[in-house]
Amino acid sequence: MAKAEIRKPKPKSNPLKAADITVIDYKDVALLRKFISDRGKIRARRVTGVSVQEQRKIAQAIKNAREVALLPYSGAGRG
Amino acid sequence: MRPYELMVLIDPEVDERTVQPSLEKFLNVITTDGGTVDKVDIWGRRRLAYDIKKKNEAIYAVVNFTSEPATAQELDRQLNLNETILRTKIIRPEDQKVSAK
Repeated sequence: MAKAEIRKPKPKSNPLKAADITVIDYKDVALLRKFISDRGKIRARRVTGVSVQEQRKIAQAIKNAREVALLPYSGAGRG
Repeated sequence: MRPYELMVLIDPEVDERTVQPSLEKFLNVITTDGGTVDKVDIWGRRRLAYDIKKKNEAIYAVVNFTSEPATAQELDRQLNLNETILRTKIIRPEDQKVSAK
């Protein structure tokens, strides 16, 4: 970025880059669990700190995983 | 020809030893139409995140294959006709890549 504003939000570390992941696989439940809340909702990008493109792939993977009951739909289940 | 990945959830009441042969019977349609079955991975019994047809677990199997789109569609149709198959999902693995740069 060009100039720092008065309040500079600290840059989040990209969790995918840290884990060295190139393919967002809907079968990788352990990875996708990091991107959902304990209620099963997909976490926002400002929380997860990934890029737009990655967030899109993650969201799609979570939705695919939900279809095959690897992950819960939000609200469903206890909690 | 396109690579596909198929995930099937099979009724938990089915004997796990019969899964492999019955799955191969379904996959015959791929080879007869000129495609190839690259990998069959049976995960075994797994708890479902939510109930499907009043069942709380299922036998998961993942099959990687290469075929024409019409063949993949036909395979999916035949699987859905069988009532021991709780759910199927066919995806194209190349859609999952992220440009890791």
